[in-house]
Amino acid sequence: MNFFETFFDYIKETYTERLLYFPSNIRVSLLIILFCVVATLELYLYMAFRRLRQANEKLKFEKWQEYISNMLANLIIFDESDKTEDIVGHFYPKMKKLPLRNPIVNKLLISEMLVYHKNFTGKIEEVLSILYRKLGLDQKSKQKINNRNWEIKIEGIREASEMGISEIASEIIKYTDDENALLRMEAQAAYIKLSENDPFHFLDRAQERILDWHQVVLFEIITKNKKLSIPSFSKWLHSPNDTVVLLCLKLVEHFMQFDAAEEVERLLKHHNSRIVKKSVEIIGKLELSDAEEHMFEVYFDQPEEIKLEILNALGKISSGNYNDFLSSRIYSNHIRIKREALYAIKRDPEKGESRLRELYHQTTLENQALIGHVLDNRIKS
Amino acid sequence: MRDFLVTFETFFNNAIFYYALFVMGSYVLLTLLSAIEMSGYMKKNSYVNYREILVSPLAPSVSILAPAFNEEATIIENIRSLLSLHYGNYEVIIINDGSKDSTFQRMFDYYQLEQVNFSVDYQIKCNEIRGVYKSKLPSFSKLTVVDKVNGGKSDALNAGINVSAKDLILCIDVDCIVQEDAILKLAKPYLEEKYQVIATGGVVRIANSCRVEDGKLIEVNMPRNLLPRFQVLEYIRAFLMGRMAWSRLNGLLIISGAMGLFDKNVVIKVGGYDQNTVGEDMELVVRMRRYMYEQDRRFKVVYIPDPLCWTEAPADLKILGRQRNRWTRGTIETLWMHKDLFFNPRYGVLGMLSYPYWLFFEWLAPIIEFLGLSVFILLASLGHINWEFSLILISMVYFFSVALSTVAILFEEMSYQQYTKGKDLVKLLLASFLEPILYHPLTVFWAVKGNIHKFRGKNNWGAMTRKGFKDQHISTETEQMT
Repeated sequence: MNFFETFFDYIKETYTERLLYFPSNIRVSLLIILFCVVATLELYLYMAFRRLRQANEKLKFEKWQEYISNMLANLIIFDESDKTEDIVGHFYPKMKKLPLRNPIVNKLLISEMLVYHKNFTGKIEEVLSILYRKLGLDQKSKQKINNRNWEIKIEGIREASEMGISEIASEIIKYTDDENALLRMEAQAAYIKLSENDPFHFLDRAQERILDWHQVVLFEIITKNKKLSIPSFSKWLHSPNDTVVLLCLKLVEHFMQFDAAEEVERLLKHHNSRIVKKSVEIIGKLELSDAEEHMFEVYFDQPEEIKLEILNALGKISSGNYNDFLSSRIYSNHIRIKREALYAIKRDPEKGESRLRELYHQTTLENQALIGHVLDNRIKS
Repeated sequence: MRDFLVTFETFFNNAIFYYALFVMGSYVLLTLLSAIEMSGYMKKNSYVNYREILVSPLAPSVSILAPAFNEEATIIENIRSLLSLHYGNYEVIIINDGSKDSTFQRMFDYYQLEQVNFSVDYQIKCNEIRGVYKSKLPSFSKLTVVDKVNGGKSDALNAGINVSAKDLILCIDVDCIVQEDAILKLAKPYLEEKYQVIATGGVVRIANSCRVEDGKLIEVNMPRNLLPRFQVLEYIRAFLMGRMAWSRLNGLLIISGAMGLFDKNVVIKVGGYDQNTVGEDMELVVRMRRYMYEQDRRFKVVYIPDPLCWTEAPADLKILGRQRNRWTRGTIETLWMHKDLFFNPRYGVLGMLSYPYWLFFEWLAPIIEFLGLSVFILLASLGHINWEFSLILISMVYFFSVALSTVAILFEEMSYQQYTKGKDLVKLLLASFLEPILYHPLTVFWAVKGNIHKFRGKNNWGAMTRKGFKDQHISTETEQMT
């Protein structure tokens, strides 16, 4: 009998005849060993099959991708003078012949059409939207939106949004305040694009938070979409949802909405410090000199971060009314306050730098170093 | 005497069995948590378009802090790679920590540096900053070089924090290869979490045998040498399983020193990196966490499974031993400095779960293993070993270890699948069989040695020599820390 036979006989005997007679800890150990060995072998098999399947799918994917890409690339040979119906008539029969029930082909065709739709305007964009509907893919997107699974819903929302299926807006609105943050964000982004009458209606009903990340996405969509009619965002600065207020403040700032000045000033007394900070920033950016006094009033009750923002805003406004206040700040105990006050003084385009040079000769060595720092234009503030 | 030995043997077998069961149970739990966290992350992020952060004026600003000590061979290439990262609002601060070679001169010449009138606000204590330099060339306007008196990695990072002008700080090892989208991915949690995020970390990968050109990773390969290959397995297990699970529990105690993004304000509030420990990366995270608890502020420390940073692992037993020795000492120091956290309910998950876990499983486990082995040898030499039972117990631990590594490899396969070649996967799977026999005993030995060194008062960092990704060169990490 060789070693392996002896070994396997021992294993067999241990698990079949002796197992019950071992002490409990050894019995448990043997069972754990068995479980680990079986699990490891199964994992090996799973990984091997997964790799094989991946390789197989990759082959199929590459084959179809080449075919579909080549087909869609032909779209660009048509120009604006060609009739839309002719172009659609040229492509529709070819696309109809595709095995759309094959999930790889279906997925590829949709994703390629979305990419082309996103990257082209004019005739190509129009033709793709028509083809999308003629192939019944819009109905598939609608079905996806009503799927129970949130990932599928998002897929459907994205497709509808890119292809401009505006009749879906009324179905999407219910998701704009969904508990699932990702679904909520996708629905809000799509709603802005698809709603023809009131693209910002979701802000009226938003109770869930619009996270900072969502604000980044929504800000991009709102500020880059030239077809969108931009409302006055001051309307939502009263919202009980702080995140709606923050988003709208960012939009007020971007679109330089001076009509929101009064509302922004009111927000200086808001309970949320992020809103106060953003309001101060906007006051500076819009150079709302009427708000200077108000900022000065609240200055001493604010945390350092907001104090710095107020100094910055006073510098941007540069009305000259608070020059003495700014100069006095360089005797603060906090270097950041001193530095910001010096930058604020410097921001006066006419007299800023000369005032700093004057101050240089009247102040302490530490402040002189700070003034040197502020006057050095190679260092960004 | 014979009765005593028999009783002791029974006790020994049971003790080993229950301790192993406890450790294995905790690993199974962590694996499950990690699987949940990973699948959630992968699902969520398959919809993310990072370009939106890249171009957005609303994205947080980031300072990259990279200490450099005697890095003349690669510093130019490393800086160039950092300057080409994909992010909108960031600056690169290289801190020349009193290099004795021509590191500073090379930077000065190549980037055409000139000294600026920077008035440093020493919010955190650090050695004297001799000068702050900016490039005359507009294309390198993002670059700032700080020249300071040598003080070690922590001191250099503290100096960098004092010079930083941004909201977040990305602390990295200058010789790491950073993925181009690393900042985008690390910054995203700061924008999407309900609570304040104070730190984020990503997966560190082993770059040995990978093809690197101009400071960029071109091709991922499995390390040819067995030692770095074991470390690949170890890193996959630690990052994809351990840290992801702790991130799920919001109980992470460590963000790798090779790369971590921190909220600068919180770092300043806690006083920056501690210079009295060799485990400064772990200690900082622990201090930041306890500060947040003490302020009654809700917060998160987040780990993301994306491979963001590639580093050269020691391929030499002596150097690897030094590294592990230092890690052990760092753990002991951090645990000792924050001993009042132990089962302290005031510190929530940190006090009740993370700290005890690190104490029992990270610090004590190798010691218990070593003692167990010693007693085993002693009993064997006295003829008081039931060899069959002992082998069954050892086999249980071995097969569990192999299964755990296989699950870790599965995680890697199902997430980022960095090793696309089939033979690399086979090599990794084979390594999982050899690792518990060849590599693990060494890590136990180094950990025990680290304990002995700590209690004998040895506090040095230990030189770390690296071959470099391109040419064979030697870079010595900070030499002092005494």
